[in-house]
This record gives sequence, C-alpha cells and structure tokens, in this order.
Amino acid sequence: MRNVTAAVRQAIIVAGVVMGGTSVALAHHSYSAFEMASVRVITGTIKKMDWTNPHTWIWIDVANEQGVVETWGIEGMSPNYLERRGWSRNTIKVGDKLSITFHPLKNGDKGGSFQSAQRPNGEVLGMTPPIADK
Amino acid sequence: MDRVFLGFVTASLLFGPAGSAQSVTRKAPTAADWTSLAKLPDLSGVWESAPGGRGAATPNGGRAGAPAGGGRAGRGGAPSLTPAYAAKAQARAANPVEEPQAANCLPPGLPAIMNQPYPIEILLTPGKVTIVIEAYTQVRHIYTDGRPLPEDPNPLFYGTSVGHWEDDTLVVETVGLAQVPRGLTFPYSEKLKVVERFRLTGPDTLSIETTLVDPEAFTAPYSMGTRSLARHRTWTIAEYICEENNRNFVDDKGSAGVKLSNPLSSAK
Repeated sequence: MRNVTAAVRQAIIVAGVVMGGTSVALAHHSYSAFEMASVRVITGTIKKMDWTNPHTWIWIDVANEQGVVETWGIEGMSPNYLERRGWSRNTIKVGDKLSITFHPLKNGDKGGSFQSAQRPNGEVLGMTPPIADK
Repeated sequence: MDRVFLGFVTASLLFGPAGSAQSVTRKAPTAADWTSLAKLPDLSGVWESAPGGRGAATPNGGRAGAPAGGGRAGRGGAPSLTPAYAAKAQARAANPVEEPQAANCLPPGLPAIMNQPYPIEILLTPGKVTIVIEAYTQVRHIYTDGRPLPEDPNPLFYGTSVGHWEDDTLVVETVGLAQVPRGLTFPYSEKLKVVERFRLTGPDTLSIETTLVDPEAFTAPYSMGTRSLARHRTWTIAEYICEENNRNFVDDKGSAGVKLSNPLSSAK
C-alpha cells in the first residue's frame, strides 16, 4: 500500500460514512463487491476509457511481477457526475501513463473502484472536486 | 389563500370501470392560465441536492454529506410502527437485507428517486408540474388541475401524484406505491401516502420536506426531514442510459458483483 496520500486517506474515511436508515441514495449500486477498507496502487498505460453510464471504466495495462502485461478495469463515477466537476471524456486518454489508487474487488478479479490517479508529472486526478457552475 | 389550485378544475370528471384510474379531460390552457402560472414561486430549473443536504456519501464521489445535515435530523431513522408492522419489521430483520436492485439498473421508487446524486429539472405548465429525473432517465407527473387522488390506485414505483399550492408552498401528495425498493428500511402498506412540500428558501435554493403517512403501518405521520437543493442555472439534464455499460449486478441471492469481462462496452 504505497503512495497513499492524505487525500486518499480522507477519501477512505469519507467512504466509511454510512448514510441514514431511511434514504439510501448511493449512486447506483452498493460497494459491497469492493474491499472498501483497503486500497491498492497500480501503474500502467491506458488501454481504453469508457465514458459511459452508469459508470466510467478505466482500462489500464499493467505489468505484473513476472513482467506479463495484464488489463485492469477500474470503475469511476458517471460521466454526468464528472462533467459537472471539471472532467471531460478526454481527461484520461488512451496511451496516458497513470498510477491509479483504488479499492480492489473482493473476489480477486483485476478490477476495483477508483479513488484517485496520478500522472507522471505529479498531477493528481480526483473525482471529488467541488461543483462549479460553468 | 389556503388552497389555490393551479390551473382549473376540469368540467368533466369521468370515472371508469371499478378499479381503473379515473380519466380527467383537460382543456387547452389559456393566456390567463399561463399568466397565473407566472405569479407563482418559480420552482423551474435544474436542481441538485446541496452538499450536506443529502445525508449520503458516495464512495468515489466523495460528497462528504453530513448525515445530520438536514437530511433526517431528529427523526430517529424510522417511524413508530403499529404492532402488526413492527412484527413485519422484526421478520425482515431476521433475514439479510437484499442489495438494492439499482445495481441491475432498476430505478428506486419514491422517495429515493428524488434523492439521487444527479440533478432533477422541474417544469411548470398550466395544470401540471413535471419532474425530469436524470438518474435512470425517469419522470414524475404531478397534476395541479384540481383532480382528486385516485381512490383505488394501481401500485406503481412513483405512484399517482396531485399537487396544490398552500401560499408559497407546492404540496404534492402521492398514493399507490408498490412494494418495490424505494429506499425505505421499514415495512409499509398499500395505504402509504408520500407528502412533499416544495418551497423556495432563497433565490436559488429549494427545500423539500418529505412526510410519510400510513395509517395501517405507522402510528403517526413520519417526517423524513427537509432537504435543501441548489439551482444550477447553467446546467442541463444529461443523458443517463443505465444499460449502456452496466457491469454491476446483484444476483438472485442478493449478492453484489462486478462483470469485468463484458465488453459490451460502448463504441464511444
């Protein structure tokens, strides 16, 4: 668990906030398929970016310990949500180098729930910027 | 001005066969109808729950949402149930709670559909308020032409709604609510009525107070509290086709999963 920034720790704390008993208002699904208490970081090259509802999916090629390239799928917030928070379908492009911090799937599949990402130049991509009326 | 009906009470109120919804003939709106509409508080536009006004956090959306921030303050989280429904609640607690079917793209019913992390757009026309809901691309139809609530409504996700104005507040009453996932963690009967009070609290802020009434299941009306929404004048409602690239699912045992190998993925 390297590269876990204070911001990510904060996000984990936020993720732990359980909503009230009467009005379940999560985006579209529960997060029980993900290991929300832990994060993992992978670094690789973007293979494909799904700018789709109900979730964006970032497909990233990552070399494993044996040097074999494997494709991971990372689920993010929806394009609707992100476009109102400064993202566009070109924020992450095919070929981009990225380190992604995410909550891994519990079943061990190569996927997870996006927490943050970092470009080689240090730029951090979060899905939590405040709403801004453009 | 206790009860001001927007629009007009229709001349003919026709009741169909037993059990079916009554049909109401609506006349074409006149210039006067549009003029009277313009005198009402302007609820029109695109609204989204204000930060802290929703009481929910999205794990990778990060809206910190203060659980106590107006979402359900002082409500204790559940209504007082009648003995029969308290027993139902106990029976339900003995079984694991199913994952919301929203993961399979089934929209939640009222009231949860009004509290999604996506905006809604309110449209006012003579005799009707329409709420366009971005999440799952849904719509609510609220008739403000003076028609009564149906006596024997079909059970639906969003029920059948009528509205009237009490001074500056739009009061929407909804009946005919089916037993479907609607964000309620307690049992309710087919007599459930949802009462929503829409009121502007500032130039671009709207409060919605939601109260549940169920004489069969609850010993008293239950207030879910008042939520605050912000109007975003530059926003438009975006497309949301849940089936476009949905890799989430809940199986028939109620367990959530994710399909990674499903390149049904869009051509975008």
